[in-house]
Amino acid sequence: MLLSFFEWLEASSLGVFMKDLPATFAVVEAVHLMGLALLGGTVLAQDLRLLNVIMRDVPSNVVTEQGHRWFKVGLWILLLTGVPMLAGVATKCYHNPFYWTKMIALAVGILFVFTLKQPLLRADHATLKPATLKLMALASMSVWFLVAASGRWIGFSG
Amino acid sequence: MNSALLQFATWLSERSFSVGLHESFYMYNWIETTHVMTLMLSFGMLAIVDLRMLGLAFANVPASKIAERLDKPMLIGFTLMFITGILLFTAIPVRTTQSLWFRIKIVLLIAAAINAWLFRGYLLAAKGSWDADAVAPRRARIAAGLSLALWCGVIMTGRFIAYDWFDCGGDNPAFIDWAAGCVAAE
Repeated sequence: MLLSFFEWLEASSLGVFMKDLPATFAVVEAVHLMGLALLGGTVLAQDLRLLNVIMRDVPSNVVTEQGHRWFKVGLWILLLTGVPMLAGVATKCYHNPFYWTKMIALAVGILFVFTLKQPLLRADHATLKPATLKLMALASMSVWFLVAASGRWIGFSG
Repeated sequence: MNSALLQFATWLSERSFSVGLHESFYMYNWIETTHVMTLMLSFGMLAIVDLRMLGLAFANVPASKIAERLDKPMLIGFTLMFITGILLFTAIPVRTTQSLWFRIKIVLLIAAAINAWLFRGYLLAAKGSWDADAVAPRRARIAAGLSLALWCGVIMTGRFIAYDWFDCGGDNPAFIDWAAGCVAAE
């Protein structure tokens, strides 16, 4: 059932377009990396601020509010380039354990940011327990590291 | 010059640590992964500073404050990029030396460094003038836009090194082989 969806995706015009020229995939892949830098940069800026490592004299509420705006831009870039990349090599991904690791981590990451982290951080950070803020930051960095690293490893195996 | 570079690359490729890096599946791939992950720290922080100059992020925080506070994490990022980059070159020296994309990447890196250097002096002089403005003056915006564009070029050409489109010995036009510095086999 699931495999047939991946086969359909690869045979779709999007999948054919991504495979037709080797340069198409490479360019989309490079833009995907730019999105990664933006998403990862805003995650690190927010989380290292919550951990009191950087920008200590900028209010953490300002950093997470501004960081989240550009996090969303990064996420859109990654999704809009990630789907065509998947279409180009869908059946390969279906059999790749790193792909599934990444997808599960990505789902956890998106749910974590939009249902837990962001709603909580919209409150005045002075009213939140410091331990809560720090745990939130550590969890966020861990999950996005896993998404990015397992993503890179899709290409290393088979 | 190209044959001297190739000579050095060939010498390097015969060292045992080069062979070791090249042949170690996990070592090589983790260095590569670290190189890519560190983009988040280097390019990520740089992008935030540039977006501030363009008035698109942290408009209510002084520009010099954002630039100064993110300077250290950004430089840590660039240092890690540099170290892992040297290791990646060490693992595959001959092919990389004759890679068109690697050569373009180095040129873009030098251009980005000059741009950053010129901009640094301009920014230091900003304190007390446009520092608190939501949008920086034209010159700062041009430098920020240029910085973003150059680094996107660095990322793109860096990723293209892995592809064999214009490898020496392939069916390339003469100017491509010239730009890639292909040395004819003796």
